[in-house]
Amino acid sequence: MNELISIKNLSIRSASETLVDSLSLTLIQGEPLTILGETGSGKSLLAQAIMGILPAGLSCQGDIALNGQRMTAKERRHYWGRHLSMLPQEPWQSLDPVMQSREQVAEVYREVLAYSAAAAQKATQTQLQQLGLADIQHKLPSQLSGGMAQRLAFAAATAAGARMIIADEPTKGLDTGQRDGIVQLLKSQTENGGLLTITHDVAVAQQLGGRIIVMRHGKVVEQGSASSVLTTPIAAYTQELIAAAPCYWTDVTPQQCHQPLLTIRNLAQQRNGKTLFRHLSFTVHHGEIIGLYGDSGCGKSTLGDTLLGLLAPNSGNIEWHADIPRHQKLKLYQDPPSSFSPAASLQTLLADVVRRHGLQAEQIPPLLQALALSPSLLTRSSHDVSGGELQRIALLRAMLLSPKLLVADEPTSRLDPITAKQIIQLLVKAARQQQCALLLISHDETQLKKVCDQIIYLQDYARENVINHCD
Amino acid sequence: MLKNRLKQMSPGQWTGAAILILLLLSAWMAPLFGHGQPNLQHLQHSFAPASAQLPLGSDQFGRDMLARLAAAVRLSFGLSLLCVASSAFLGISLGVMAAWSSQRIDAVINFVANTVMSLPGLVLVLLVAGLAPGSFTMLYLGISLTLWVEYFRVVRATVQPLVNGPELQSSMMLGFGRWYQFRRHIWPAISGNVLTLAAFGAATSILMMASTGFVYAGLKPPTAELGLMIVELFPYFADATWVLLQPLCILLLMVLGFNLLAGQKA
Amino acid sequence: MKGILIKRLVQLLMMAWSVGTITFILSRMLPGDMAYRIAAGRYGDDAVTAAAASAVRQELGLNDPVWLQYLHWLGELLQCNLGSSLVSGNPITAELQHQLGYTLILAAAAILLSAVIALPLGLICGFQANKWIDRCGLLISTFLRSQPVFCLGLILILLFSLQLKWFPVAGFDSLPHLFLPALTLALSLAALSSRVIRNSTLRVIRSDYYLFSRIKGLSRQQTFRRHGIRNIALPVVAFMGIQLVGLIEGVIMVESLFAWPGIGHGLSHAVFSRDIPMLQGTALTCGVLFVVINTLVDGCCYLLDPRSKMTC
Repeated sequence: MNELISIKNLSIRSASETLVDSLSLTLIQGEPLTILGETGSGKSLLAQAIMGILPAGLSCQGDIALNGQRMTAKERRHYWGRHLSMLPQEPWQSLDPVMQSREQVAEVYREVLAYSAAAAQKATQTQLQQLGLADIQHKLPSQLSGGMAQRLAFAAATAAGARMIIADEPTKGLDTGQRDGIVQLLKSQTENGGLLTITHDVAVAQQLGGRIIVMRHGKVVEQGSASSVLTTPIAAYTQELIAAAPCYWTDVTPQQCHQPLLTIRNLAQQRNGKTLFRHLSFTVHHGEIIGLYGDSGCGKSTLGDTLLGLLAPNSGNIEWHADIPRHQKLKLYQDPPSSFSPAASLQTLLADVVRRHGLQAEQIPPLLQALALSPSLLTRSSHDVSGGELQRIALLRAMLLSPKLLVADEPTSRLDPITAKQIIQLLVKAARQQQCALLLISHDETQLKKVCDQIIYLQDYARENVINHCD
Repeated sequence: MLKNRLKQMSPGQWTGAAILILLLLSAWMAPLFGHGQPNLQHLQHSFAPASAQLPLGSDQFGRDMLARLAAAVRLSFGLSLLCVASSAFLGISLGVMAAWSSQRIDAVINFVANTVMSLPGLVLVLLVAGLAPGSFTMLYLGISLTLWVEYFRVVRATVQPLVNGPELQSSMMLGFGRWYQFRRHIWPAISGNVLTLAAFGAATSILMMASTGFVYAGLKPPTAELGLMIVELFPYFADATWVLLQPLCILLLMVLGFNLLAGQKA
Repeated sequence: MKGILIKRLVQLLMMAWSVGTITFILSRMLPGDMAYRIAAGRYGDDAVTAAAASAVRQELGLNDPVWLQYLHWLGELLQCNLGSSLVSGNPITAELQHQLGYTLILAAAAILLSAVIALPLGLICGFQANKWIDRCGLLISTFLRSQPVFCLGLILILLFSLQLKWFPVAGFDSLPHLFLPALTLALSLAALSSRVIRNSTLRVIRSDYYLFSRIKGLSRQQTFRRHGIRNIALPVVAFMGIQLVGLIEGVIMVESLFAWPGIGHGLSHAVFSRDIPMLQGTALTCGVLFVVINTLVDGCCYLLDPRSKMTC
């Protein structure tokens, strides 16, 4: 057995608390190791500790050995590139914004491995071709999709020959298809090297296989082979985490849809001269839950905004079967704080809504209870509550107005899986109770399949189709 | 909200505020102690040394330096306050208007702002001041004319993403009107920047006035104005270095006070 | 690139229009008979007669309605026909040529000197952010920025000319004469630009891509050369466009203080002596200088930043 990285009793502390508590692990050649856990569980700190780039102010104790040799953080830096490398969380920010894609890889051959310019160019060419990046050689990072940027970062990170790869949330923000591509790429790396992946996505852990360590609040909750941990989890937290993955959700019984709310006929929309979708026709019924799936940038949000009347359609029409006032067509945003004023308490903001529409303030406490929110939260401002709490308050604010159409634009993509599951369930329940049509926009197909009555696919405007579970 | 803002002030900002308050207090108190006649000449007492009667000595015409400095500080503060208030009001209103209304209005206002910006500020102030030499009003108009553009640009740049962003969109969908949106969303977003700009703007207007005075293009003698005092005292630097340093230091303190108050971002 | 040039050209026209309009209003507001004044400027005070004045009135169309005179004024401006100085009687363009040379020498020397000061200082402060040298840099920069350029110049004169007697106070004949005005201007420019360089450096060396370059295996020096220089330079060059205002304003003050016979000196003198053609000419030249250097800065940004070519 070839031990690439071995860590004994690693603890990371800030001035006030212990962030990672005596963690030990071993990364073996040929066997991927995955650290699974929610945000704030200290996973990223572990990656930074191994690389030797912990932020100032954090202290680190314990042994870290590479290739069986104990090393200080400074010594590990000499391993960067040739032996040890890290795949970044945010590939766009890790690539030089003003350098062409090809050059970001070629410079590694030239500067680190001292290849001649021609040899470096050739090696880069080959590598980019293998990764399917031949077409984007001359592009700048801002012109790449998330998946392409991550593949380019992978090429650059491994060009100098590193065999030990640490991947910190490598699939963050990618849609299902791009995510699977990156996971396959990482997996291929393990054959003659080592891979330590850090993720909150159970599906990624499942695809990678190998061994899994589940972490929470800086402590190891459970570890073992991927197959045993994922199929027969022992710790309660692991069970909860796995149950929160959309593929393990229980199906929501589709509703019989009766009364049409609005009918969309031949809708088309363009942005900057590019057609996002066209020939789009479907009907939304009262209380129906509709999923909207597609790659990022394909016009999902634009379709939502068009239905809400925020954008005029390019062609086609939207027919409302009843006259719904403006404030009963509402939207939940991807980033909850972005739709609240940070300058006033949540209580004040809700009171504003109540006063504006002559509602009863007594409606609020039962809704708080239904959404499992503590009333004391409302005394804070939107910046002082968690994303999950704020998203529930946003839902509460919408529900106060008894909306007829609610567009939820990726309402959980910035939240932890367990919170995400809770929010989606509350959202579906609330929509059903109030007979409010819900348009759920997501880049996670599995999630939609579990909860929606109807899914609209917006992958490519030429091939869009509508699967209707109701029929 | 004011309380919060005071709480967030850095030590540097407190220092700046303290300097300014001290200067202002002394400038307003000086006349109460018999230093209220900045232009009264006593030619036989030119460059009198500091004494109980003349705590800061006298200038080439035997005028009371303390009275002159106090008058100059009051003048500078008054002018900067006026300029900042009018330019901020104009800049904020136009900035919000440009970002929040149709593209055509935006283009028109932007065009006006770009025209003003096509000349360096001091050149514009000198030109406008040249229209009526020695006129306080012209100086005020000239300086305000150059200052408002900065507010306009910053406010417009802050409000533009807000207008297209979720905060205002959701507020609009919830049925709130424009005034509510301004009060709840726009003002909190721009107020911090506006206060910083106001402090910098006050410093700029004081500098501008002193600069025009220094090149004899601003207010006319015998007005007690810092730039004018400096240039008039300059020929006597050898005999009365200490008197020349006084307006220099006061000018430095005022500008430093406002710069510190603006907060050290650069 | 074409877009930038068109934008700057429009700016140039707007600048000329506003200068022309203000000076036109100015010329109407002056006390006394315009025709007499111009005649006096041409033939000397003693030679002015009613006949000469009326000839001037005829020739310049001073009897026309105001709007026609205004159009005439702008027309002359467009043809770069700036008239003659009311003080010296020399053609404005000749005077401007002479002054512009001096101003360009001063500005170039100041920019060069400020780069020599600000570049190393800004980089060191950026790499040593929040350590003592950075704090010292901040302190000095705040102090320098808090005084008008002419105060700084006065202090330098008091120190170097009058106390140490190293450099002459004023004049324009030799290199030593250039030193103090250029240093004054350079210090005031460097006070701000060194902080901009420092902030840009700090932002780049703390960026994800800077760290990622090290993780790819590049050394410190390689990373600085490959990813540091260009990324640090971009905001700094863009900032130079903003700092230009300070440069031109500084030139006006410094030239007046050191009696350096450049455009700024001419401008403040023209305001003082109410020499309207001269005022128009110098203000116009300041404006042209401002727009031209701004265009050069735009060009540099365009060449440095490949992202700008993407959109075109």
